[in-house]
Amino acid sequence: MNTNLLVVIAASAVFYGTPLFFAALGGVITERSGVLNLGVEGTMLIGAVTGAWASQHVGGSAWFTVLISILMGMAAGALTSLLHAFLCITLRTNQTVAGLAITIAAGGVGLSSYFANIWEVAANPVNRPIRKLDVFGLADAPVLGPIVFNQTILTYVSWVMVAVASWYLFRTKIGLQLRAVGESPQTADAMGINVVKYRYLHTVLGGSLAGLGGVFYSLAIVPLWVDGMTKGAGWIAIALVIFGFWRPGLTLVGAYLFGALQSLGTALKARNVNISGDVLDALPFVMTIVVLVLISSRFAHRRLGAPASLGVPYEREER
Amino acid sequence: MQSAVRMTGIVKRFPGVVANDGVDLDVRPGEVHALLGENGAGKSTLSNILTGLYRPDEGKVEVNGQVVNFASPKDALHAGIGMVHQHFRLVETFTVAENVVLGEDDAPFLMNQQAVATRVKEISDRYGLAVDPSARIWQLSVGEQQRVEIIKTLYRGARILILDEPTAVLTPNEADVLFATLRAMVAEGRTVIFISHKLDEVMKVSDRVTVLRGGRTVGTVDTANTSTRELASLMVGRSVEFSRVTRVNRADNSTTVLELTDVTANDDRGRVAVQSVSLTVGRGEIVGVAGVAGNGQRELAEVIAGMRGCSSGTISVAGRTVQSGRARVAIDSGVAHIPEDRLHTGLASSHSVEDNMALKNYRSREMSPFRMLRRKAIREQATGLVDRYDVKTPNTSTPVRLLSGGNVQKVLLAREFSAMPKVLVAASPTRGLDVGAIETVRDRLVEAAEGGVGILLISEDLDEIMSLADRILVIYEGRIVDDLSAVGADRQRIGLTMGGVAQETVR
Amino acid sequence: MRSPVRLERRLEQPRWLNWSIPVISLVTALVLGAIVLWITGKNPLEVYDRILERGFLGKRPIQGTLITATPFAFTGLCAAVAFRMGVINIGGEGQFYVGAIGAAWVGIAMTGQPVGVAVVGMVVMGMLFGAAYGSIVGVLKARFNTNEIITSLMLNYIAGILLNYLIFNSRSYWRDPRSMGFPSGKPITERNEWTDYVVGGVKIPLGFLIAVIAAGAIWVLYKRTRFGFEVGVIADSPRAARYAGIRTRSTIVLVMALSGALAGLGGASDVGDFRHILDAKGLQLGGFGYTGIVVAALARFNPFSTLLVAFLLGGLTNAGYALQGPDFPSGLVGTLQGLILFTAVAGEILVRYRIRANRRRTQAVAS
Repeated sequence: MNTNLLVVIAASAVFYGTPLFFAALGGVITERSGVLNLGVEGTMLIGAVTGAWASQHVGGSAWFTVLISILMGMAAGALTSLLHAFLCITLRTNQTVAGLAITIAAGGVGLSSYFANIWEVAANPVNRPIRKLDVFGLADAPVLGPIVFNQTILTYVSWVMVAVASWYLFRTKIGLQLRAVGESPQTADAMGINVVKYRYLHTVLGGSLAGLGGVFYSLAIVPLWVDGMTKGAGWIAIALVIFGFWRPGLTLVGAYLFGALQSLGTALKARNVNISGDVLDALPFVMTIVVLVLISSRFAHRRLGAPASLGVPYEREER
Repeated sequence: MQSAVRMTGIVKRFPGVVANDGVDLDVRPGEVHALLGENGAGKSTLSNILTGLYRPDEGKVEVNGQVVNFASPKDALHAGIGMVHQHFRLVETFTVAENVVLGEDDAPFLMNQQAVATRVKEISDRYGLAVDPSARIWQLSVGEQQRVEIIKTLYRGARILILDEPTAVLTPNEADVLFATLRAMVAEGRTVIFISHKLDEVMKVSDRVTVLRGGRTVGTVDTANTSTRELASLMVGRSVEFSRVTRVNRADNSTTVLELTDVTANDDRGRVAVQSVSLTVGRGEIVGVAGVAGNGQRELAEVIAGMRGCSSGTISVAGRTVQSGRARVAIDSGVAHIPEDRLHTGLASSHSVEDNMALKNYRSREMSPFRMLRRKAIREQATGLVDRYDVKTPNTSTPVRLLSGGNVQKVLLAREFSAMPKVLVAASPTRGLDVGAIETVRDRLVEAAEGGVGILLISEDLDEIMSLADRILVIYEGRIVDDLSAVGADRQRIGLTMGGVAQETVR
Repeated sequence: MRSPVRLERRLEQPRWLNWSIPVISLVTALVLGAIVLWITGKNPLEVYDRILERGFLGKRPIQGTLITATPFAFTGLCAAVAFRMGVINIGGEGQFYVGAIGAAWVGIAMTGQPVGVAVVGMVVMGMLFGAAYGSIVGVLKARFNTNEIITSLMLNYIAGILLNYLIFNSRSYWRDPRSMGFPSGKPITERNEWTDYVVGGVKIPLGFLIAVIAAGAIWVLYKRTRFGFEVGVIADSPRAARYAGIRTRSTIVLVMALSGALAGLGGASDVGDFRHILDAKGLQLGGFGYTGIVVAALARFNPFSTLLVAFLLGGLTNAGYALQGPDFPSGLVGTLQGLILFTAVAGEILVRYRIRANRRRTQAVAS
């Protein structure tokens, strides 16, 4: 295959992988606290529609509008997952069902579409899209140019985020306590850590990142509003969390890999190489199942597995 | 000399039971003080009060001369009291260092793993608690995990250390290492409270011993001035004249209904819980298994009932070898099982009385011809059993979890007995029941034995075993360590072997 | 910082809660929906009135609603059957697709046989394909202890890709060779199309009738057979199941197969009753599997209530289609469905727990 195609695919991988990464990173943080959030798809859409609305209604310089749109999208995501946190942590609802409820309620035929309709977001194109930058003027450099130097600001932010998130999780006291809450809330509770607080905080934080991922869709990828525009990216992000073994660095790699597969699939289909296209499309999902089976075995479970208390509501025993 | 810890007149009540009924405890600084007693004597409750988990209903607690009122475990921690529980509070996937520093208020925001590791190493070297700070908990043996728990308390500057049955999970070698550690800690002025039921260890490691029985303090002695025999008597009470239940139609020992040969089985954590156990139960014989809880009784019962596989050895029921680990096979072979955990193992607690009565025989042709449940038959069976066994329930559709403890047990008994088993394994069948219910259960056991059922009665209540059994086995750390006839059995001897003192030294 | 209320497990579960909670949930969802409508400037009463009219009042609306409700009934039963044992099958979507594939195959292939044979063939094939797909999840869970939520989700996507492949990206058996520019599915033999049955002047799709029979069969299965008994015990206490000698692992696989078979039946009905082709696009837009979960949750996993709730949600969706336009806010249907799921789930909490005020604990006297 010629290099040009590879470069194009790699550049696409980074571009399309960025929102996947944000949503998945949000998932990692939430799941590290022991809460399973299946409402990512819905949350992303809410973030997307809010960001699009903000972009159309907030005046000022281009940078200012973009910044506010991003922040509002994140805030919308945070609010949505606050609801999820309430249902799961305080009311101890089945976390799967709660997440599904959010996705159905907020999803492509739900609230996000409703708001878009009411606010007339789809009517106009987005005023201030997030454009790709030309960093250091190297956008045209061979090979690396399009891949590294011709991305949106959010992609560069995502690279910084990997470092920050890894550092947060594995090198700070709070990260340690967070992981303890996810692995063994009884132990954490016994050691004086407020399980409820940690879970709420990190579910909301995770939701804001999902919102950020959504904003990328409505402001960078398309950029305008279409009902259900994330097209299942939220579900892929959930798979990505597992695929990345709940570690930010691997999640980024996984996001680019999934992004590459998607681009490769499209490219191949355009060249009428049909079988490969669909197989590639299915590959992320098949791989996730394989990973899941692998890490469920007793051997792998301790080294690589999910936070032990994932999805289980915490009930403190009466004294 | 001021006491390190002084508890006076402690009373703690729970619904239905008085766990501590006026307990006194006086621990001098710089000593290893053992708290000895059987299950239910009140040791755990007392230590939970001392570590701030419970509040006493009456009584006073003083630490280093000051009256204290702990509202939470954190208060106890600040007062310098640290506890190593029987069930560790460790995060399996974390390293030793991470577990030690978890929840530490004074730890810096940016973790300094090096500093923690160094300090852990320091403590570790000083007290002989060899452990690798960077090892993950699941990689460690249980003994090493316990060392981590101890290091946790020392890291936070605990001056008074409480250990709850620490050797329950250790090998004899590891236990010796632990004792050396305790001695080292005490040598530099710390105080250790050592909760145990094992007599020889108490003799080995402690300076003084306080014995609890039935929620009260029965005595405090200097270890140097006492013996295992004396401690055993204090622990289980003087030999009392109690009536043995008279029975007709005594055991026919020529027919064996249950035989275990060299059976070894693991517990849920993969450790050996039953070790090379061989025993026989004759037709109509009641064999009691005495021992303090946690010595493999549950696993032994589960192996016989087919709920747990054995890694070696054979089980045979009425002369025929039975495949291990298959509950259905055991049930069909005629093994009945009354488990310790009535409501969650022996019964489906949200299901009705009639459903539970049919829990084991719903597969029979009578109850479900052509795989369709015959509700009428199930209901009739239940109604009949409720009458015969006098189960107090509004009707047979009532969920069993609404019944009182005694009636829950009656449901179990009704079901198990009416299945005409050859062997019945009964684990702690009268635990938590009121006097009337206890009598009923015992009567039924005797009745079954007279009808030819071989009964293995596993119980922590020595009185019960002594009054009902024909033969008594003593289980300790998964092994059968004693086998004696119940008639004229020496209670003190049993107390000693329950506490791990080997038979040969018992004279 | 203590919360002012706490949840306390109920000892008894009064019978009346069983039906009143779903009703209260539904009403609450409608109220919440009304609030959303109101704050965004619409008149909730008017909107609801129009939904009622277009969904439920009159012969034509009811017929339309039955059409929309049929797939929901199947996916609802699919979810209910699994949830009853505590297995969270969200793969109804994919199992539906796969069932459609199987049924379309038979529908296209059978050309000379009597109609009844073809219909039975489609039903059976749809169930088989669905069961097979569902048991993948069951086996993974029973054998490897993998989380059924994620595996069933992933399989949904894989099934969707399979549909796309069959219709859009290959010259498969299911694709209409005449549809070069705009790929679509090959129609099934005309005589194999399922007929409606007229009851009391109302046309009822065959699929819906099958769903009613299926609901009855499931009820009997769970209440009156050994299998149902075992499922109940496993759901209540896995330890007790082990104690009683119940083979838990194979039961899990069987339940998942049954669940998948029901969704697959829905797929068969989709092809046989309504679309008459394997409609890759339409199936994926329908989201039947996910709606089925909402249906099952509100119906509290009872097969007959599932039918009823499927009908209600069918009416809602039907009205949503009929009313689409500038006046009627799009997205309202999804929003209401989501709200219903929320309130159903929150209502479930009230069945298991009661709300108690947290009074200050009195300090124990310490001397």
